[in-house]
Amino acid sequence: MAFCIIFLTLILGAFGEEFIEEIFIKPLPPTHLYSYFQFITLVDTESFVHSNLAPRSIGEVISRFQVDELHMTLTEGQWRHSQWGYPVLDAAPGAELYAWFNPEVKDIDLEWRKLSATLSGLFCASLNFIDSFNTITPQMALWPTGAVKSNLNVTTLLRYASLPREIVCTENLTPWKKLLPCESSRGFSALLNSRMIHNTNYHSIGVHVRKVCASEDCTETKLEIKQTVALVYDYKIIGSNDWSFRKLFGHGLPGACPLATSSIIHVDITSNTSYPFQLSPMPDKVVQSRRGGSDLKLAVYEIDASVEMINIGVKHSTKEKLSVIIPPPLHFNRYVLGYGKEFGGIVTELVNNYWTAIDVVVLENAPWWLPIQLSSLRINSEAESKLVKSQYYSPGRSRQKPYHLELLLKLPPRSTTTITIDFEFVFLKWQEYPPDANHGFYIGSAIIAANLPTAKNYTSLPVTGINYHSTINASQSWYPAVFRTNGAMVSLPTPDFSMPYNVICLACTVVALAFGPLHNICTKELILKPVGTPLSLTQKILNFFKRKKE
Amino acid sequence: MSKHESKTEAEESNRMWASASFVGVLIIIGLPLWWKTTEVYRVALPYDKISSFDQLPRKVAVDLKILAYDDVTAADLEALIEKAFEDSDIIKPRIQKAVLSDELHHALEYVADELDAVEEINRAYNLTERNCFYLVQRRNLFQHVWLGEERVMFFRDSEASRLVVESLLRWVYQTSVLSGVRSETVDAARSTRLPPAAGYHVVLSVVHPTPDKLEVEFDAKEAVEDYIGTFVDELSYLHNFTLKSQWLYLLDFNFQAKEVKDINEDRGRHFSVRRDRLHLLLTSLEERAATHVAALPTINLALYIVPCHLSPLQIYYDDDKPVQATMQAFMSPKWGGVVFASPSAPDCGHQHPAFHPHTRLVMGTFLAQLRPLLGIPEVDYIPDAFLVPLRSVAARKWEVDSLVRLRTLEQITSAQRTLQSLAQLLGEISNIVITDEVGASINSAVESIQEASHLLAEGDIMNAYDTSKRAYLAAETAFMDPSLLALLYFPDDQKYAIYIPLFLPIMFPVVLSLKNLLLWFRGKPVHKDKIE
Repeated sequence: MAFCIIFLTLILGAFGEEFIEEIFIKPLPPTHLYSYFQFITLVDTESFVHSNLAPRSIGEVISRFQVDELHMTLTEGQWRHSQWGYPVLDAAPGAELYAWFNPEVKDIDLEWRKLSATLSGLFCASLNFIDSFNTITPQMALWPTGAVKSNLNVTTLLRYASLPREIVCTENLTPWKKLLPCESSRGFSALLNSRMIHNTNYHSIGVHVRKVCASEDCTETKLEIKQTVALVYDYKIIGSNDWSFRKLFGHGLPGACPLATSSIIHVDITSNTSYPFQLSPMPDKVVQSRRGGSDLKLAVYEIDASVEMINIGVKHSTKEKLSVIIPPPLHFNRYVLGYGKEFGGIVTELVNNYWTAIDVVVLENAPWWLPIQLSSLRINSEAESKLVKSQYYSPGRSRQKPYHLELLLKLPPRSTTTITIDFEFVFLKWQEYPPDANHGFYIGSAIIAANLPTAKNYTSLPVTGINYHSTINASQSWYPAVFRTNGAMVSLPTPDFSMPYNVICLACTVVALAFGPLHNICTKELILKPVGTPLSLTQKILNFFKRKKE
Repeated sequence: MSKHESKTEAEESNRMWASASFVGVLIIIGLPLWWKTTEVYRVALPYDKISSFDQLPRKVAVDLKILAYDDVTAADLEALIEKAFEDSDIIKPRIQKAVLSDELHHALEYVADELDAVEEINRAYNLTERNCFYLVQRRNLFQHVWLGEERVMFFRDSEASRLVVESLLRWVYQTSVLSGVRSETVDAARSTRLPPAAGYHVVLSVVHPTPDKLEVEFDAKEAVEDYIGTFVDELSYLHNFTLKSQWLYLLDFNFQAKEVKDINEDRGRHFSVRRDRLHLLLTSLEERAATHVAALPTINLALYIVPCHLSPLQIYYDDDKPVQATMQAFMSPKWGGVVFASPSAPDCGHQHPAFHPHTRLVMGTFLAQLRPLLGIPEVDYIPDAFLVPLRSVAARKWEVDSLVRLRTLEQITSAQRTLQSLAQLLGEISNIVITDEVGASINSAVESIQEASHLLAEGDIMNAYDTSKRAYLAAETAFMDPSLLALLYFPDDQKYAIYIPLFLPIMFPVVLSLKNLLLWFRGKPVHKDKIE
């Protein structure tokens, strides 16, 4: 062990790179379990060309397209905020990609397309379908989480796109795992067994690259490459509410990654009071964390590289107990209105349970084939609402630009705010329909950025924090959070795709039927045939058939 | 009766004109209109120039200066060289002969060391000129022929003439490698070197499978920049090189190594790995090395740190004979090279096992692998002729010249073949679209090919290289343009499914009426169609 530490400090001294792996497990009573993995590589910004622990492919992408900050998530399933509280990092269903480019980039849109195409190849995801028609530049909802120069107008450097139709599976996880220095042979990543993790209610993998301060005064920056996995297990699928690594991941943990400086597992045992359970093996320590109105107890395991198989698990002492779920201070819901194939509407409901007002930014991002009209915007059925503090609307353009609406709202205490906006259905060209057009069309999630006044149900890291330890006792005046609502589906007027051919055949038949007689009338004459004239050969054959018919 | 006759005749002509107007509208106007509107867009291409590439000048002019003690030796040598290159369709030497000046003569006589002699010649003549080679007579030579790193070859006397010619052919001008560029079959040098490109990424991957059991001290960055950097600096006007390094940990690979007793080894054993097992290592390296993210072709250099429990590792040939070399290494053509560094017994036996790979040996091996990968072939041995072994990292001057000629020829040939196969494809597949941009790059490629061939024939190899690079890139861009495929998969059966219901019922009566129409125009009596 002592040798390991000496050796690792040597590596760090020589390359200025650091690798941290962490797991955070939180029971979501009564039926679910949340486990969150994060693998962090800290790199000196200069050492991209010569990399040690950092994945060279990400470095190559970042430096080639001059990206300052990058967030990519691939998600299957829907995070239920009202039941489960808040995740450490929220993600939109399907694929989501947003990035801030370096101010020196001349043509951001071009680089953005190249970036998405490259990442598409790297992660085997359909990110190459990102183009100007589904890219927006959020004005208020998204801000860089990393270190940026304070005098910089970062909004113009941002591009955001989401692909809600994307299906996430093992082919995305395998390249993702290859970016880790220990790959999947050792360390926490060895738990990510694709057979087990795709058997969950919700799974999301992500890559987040940002700049973090290397020194106190932030004159130097480091690059943080964070790879995350979020999984929500259903106790019904596991078979019981007693979970263990072997049940969740198929096998125990084969020790820490030998290259990691710290390998720590945090288990949230706050719910132990209402649902008594016993952790095994016993944690190295239990930490109490008071953070903005929430009081958490975290069991901490520090894992060694040399350790044998560990199987952390929980046994509940009482079976089946019903309880009331207390929803988090802010939660939301979204659904589609309307009937028929002409008009419809999107409704976003925001519920503020807290006793003070909460400021939120709601970003609606509708594709060009779903034109939303600003004139139809109603907040609590009012066209002119006092809740709206600021508003940004960018109308879409057919096949070129999506519709983009952002609202800065002040949600009154203990209230439900309903945002309604109408859209009309659009006819697409027949080649623009996706395969299986009758399946319906996905609308991406809305982004909700909120400054929460309380840390209840809040699990995210503070902005300056790198490892999970930074959440302990991290009280602030407010807690920034970016959420994604559920997506929605609409069914666009879909034609019968064999119709064009049918029309062609029918029209041709009609033309042929009309043309024949017309041609005959114009070019042929009727002549009386005297009886007894000798018959030609063709006539003889015709007569033969006629007789047979009779 | 005559009135009736004239009436029927008038009707007859009416009918015929009606028939003729059907033909006129459908066949004379309709068909060309249909043809024109459904045509695949194609810019006019210089097919004649593409097919006459063979008539372009094929030879590369090189300057050769003979400096001898007397006119007779020089003239003999000139005649011999001219005769030797007479049949070559690649190299055309432009020979200038001269007698050594007295001053230089004396200097060469008194200088003992050959390198100093080269220095003397450098003082009198400009040795930095590319594509210009000096043959200098030097009587006090221990060998018949002496060749160093500069563009100078010494020969002792006229007896050495044959050796001079042979060394010129095999070493300096490498005619067999050059002619291999044009041949249909691939020779060893061509199958090894990477295809021409604007630049290469050279990535050194240090593969360390057991980071928890062995500490490795190796500064990959410094090694790459010192050794590879110095080597590729000389070639930087040919290609852009980007030097990178990375570490790959915990790469599991089963060598299926067998323990073999070895009395020469400290540990009394070594591990044997069969040669045919090694290519599987490339597969697992390729998985992790992230070679595909770069925009340019990548040359992979992998330093594999053999784990203590497998070292020393010894590669065996298929016939169970060990490979005798200081460094165990192998090369994969057009991919890169792998060097195995085995820690020694004291390294592994230590309480905290630590290993310093021998940087000079490791990087030397990589450089030896890099040379053929970049197109500098191995020099073969010629009896009685002496080639000074490489002492520095950089390539020999005349090797670089030869590489320029090789790459120029290769790029011209490749561009020509690309354009010829494109022309052939266009002839075979009618659905390929040629847009204006593709047409422009084809035209520029054709022009650059012609220009580069003429520049080569004039001996201006540097400009020829640049022009040929333009030609190569333009031809590749044209061939690889995605717009070529826009209509490629538009199936013919679907076209017929739409055209037949329309054209068949309409064209049938119109075409049949043509016969009557022709007869009537010729003034012959028309056999009247009857309808009962």
